[in-house]
Parts: sequence; C-alpha cells; structure tokens
Amino acid sequence: MEPVLAEKIVHGLKAVGIDFITYLPESRLSQILPLLREDGTVQMVAAASEQEAITIAAGAALGGKRVACYMESTGPYVSAYSLLTVGKQMGVPILLLIGFLGSFADQRNSFLYVTIGMRMIPTLEGLGLEYRVIENADNLDRHIRDAQRVSDSMRAPAALIFSGEFAR
Amino acid sequence: MIRRDCLELVAPLMTDQLVLSSQSGQRIEWFHLSQHEGNLLVGMMGCATGVGMGLALALPHRRVIVLESDGSVLLSLFNLPTLGNLNLTNLTVFVFDNEVYSGSTMSEPTATAGNTDIAAIARASGIENAVTVDDIEGFKEHGLPGVTGEGLHYVVCKVEESLIHREIPRPNVDLAEYKYRFVRYIERTEGITIPFVGLG
Repeated sequence: MEPVLAEKIVHGLKAVGIDFITYLPESRLSQILPLLREDGTVQMVAAASEQEAITIAAGAALGGKRVACYMESTGPYVSAYSLLTVGKQMGVPILLLIGFLGSFADQRNSFLYVTIGMRMIPTLEGLGLEYRVIENADNLDRHIRDAQRVSDSMRAPAALIFSGEFAR
Repeated sequence: MIRRDCLELVAPLMTDQLVLSSQSGQRIEWFHLSQHEGNLLVGMMGCATGVGMGLALALPHRRVIVLESDGSVLLSLFNLPTLGNLNLTNLTVFVFDNEVYSGSTMSEPTATAGNTDIAAIARASGIENAVTVDDIEGFKEHGLPGVTGEGLHYVVCKVEESLIHREIPRPNVDLAEYKYRFVRYIERTEGITIPFVGLG
C-alpha cells in the first residue's frame, strides 16, 4: 500500500473520532499502525486473536470509546463467535477494518490466500453484518463516515474491506 | 467452598465497581445476589475477560471485576498473554473453577480436573500475582482485596460443583436491558455520553 493511502485511512478514522483500536497486524494495511502509534491520540491494543480483539473493542465501546478493530480477511472466521455474541447479540457498534487478502483485486493474491478471501464476504453475510468493499481512496473519508454511521445505527459491527489499491 | 460462598462475600462490597459475568452458573447466582446497576451479563462463554479488559482500558479509574468459569477461560486462553502484557491496574478476574462443564446435564470434566492449572498458565503469561485459592479463608485473603483494592488480580477459586443456580429464579432481564442499564449507569457515574446509545 502506498504510504499516502495509509495516511488517508488514519485521517478518516480520526475524522470520525476513533480513539480506540484493537488489532492483529497483517500485510495489506499494516502501514496504518506506525502512523496511529506516532499520532498518539488513538489507544492501541494488540490482541492475540481476532476473537479477543472484538471483545476488547466491545468493552471499550461500552466504556465510552469510539472503537475500530483491524484484521485481515481470516479475521471474520476467527472472530465469528464474538462478532455474533458481543457484537450482534449484545448490540455493540465496532468499525471493522479488514485487509482483503485473497480477493479478486488483491494484487498479491496466491494459493495461500484465495480460498480464505473468496469465502470471507459470504461469511460476513452469514453473520448478518453490513460491509462495503473499497478499492481506491476516492471518497474514503465518506466511506468511513458511512460505515460508522451504519454501525452505530445497527448497534452492531460494520465492515470496511480494503482491496485493490490498498492490497498491493 | 462453593461459588455462592465467595459471591456472598463480594456482594456487600459493591460500590461503584463494574461487574461482568460470563455465561455460566455464577451469572444466575450473582444476579440473584446483586441488583447493582454496574452488573453486565456477557451472554456467552469465552468473552467476558476480553470485554472486561476493554472496559478497564476505557475507564482506568474504575474497578472492573470479571466473574469467569474454568470452561469459559479454557475457551479463550488467548486472553491471558494479552492481559499479562497490558499492565492494567484496575481489573480483577475471579475464575470459579469447579472442574466441570456444569451447564452440561452430565457435568463433564474440564481440563482443570486433569493436569491443567489455570493460575500457572496465567503466571506464565505475565500475570505474576495470579493465585489459586481453595478455601474461604484463602478467598478472603487473596480474593477480597481484588474487590475494593487496586492492581491487577487474577484469582482462581477452586470450588465444589454446586447446582444452586438451577434452583433459584433466573433473572428476568435480557441482554439488551442489561446493556442499556449498564451504559446508562456509566454515563451517570462518569458524567459522559456513550456515543452510540442515544443517536436517533
């Protein structure tokens, strides 16, 4: 990912007031991590599992934080249980940021990723989670704002899935 | 020692703590003993400690207490290294370890009935003061400071299996009602607005 794209993602997150992010690093969007760390206004928590990342983010949201959770496209599989229980069932909004490795537009796709990537969106749909796939930075701030508004309104996690230019 | 013995000692000490229970028998016993507005039911096993960590990070001046079970902790062992590295000073986790899946009708044994020691795993994960207690005096000594004191406490309470939770009335409160009561309590006591609950 071009550094300027990472800057735009971070800008968009800060613009909607995200002040708490849980994450497992991956390869497509990881350049946002040093930017967030350098910025210093977003509390960052490294989790050992995406399932855990969702629960920590949910707890912070209940405590008044504006939260996001960053993961790769394996994350929805690993975290399906907590997305459904603390996310949907309890009703806690969490902005999901998913690096879409294994997608059609993943510029570094391979046999390692494609099976995971191709079934990721059906998995989100099976969980009843709203999502939008983003392939370039056009209107990125608006996409982030829209996703957070949907997440708040649904009282549930909602996902922005980054592919194309973001997955180089 | 049974779980209820411990919870009966904790309930009178409630002031402004935030208490989360996982989906185990203790949630019925606790919510029967305590109608504290800072109680929150986390509806399934394996999620309460994670939610507790998030709350403790968001509200570092509030004491957060998590009521866990051995089955629930075994479902989410990844919490322990994370907790062991966060340096939290306002979180207490009580693990009521009865060595069985008590919710199963046959009380099938958990790994802690065999060779597994949750407190030892916690210590090896960086929670240096994680401790196991197996009688009520031990709970008073090592457990109760986690209710009113400071620091990170991880207390594994070895308890006999008890089926009291099957005999007392279940709470007539659903997950959404718990959540809204809980966040309104936080709003009122913290003087903050939880961003997502009032948007219309």
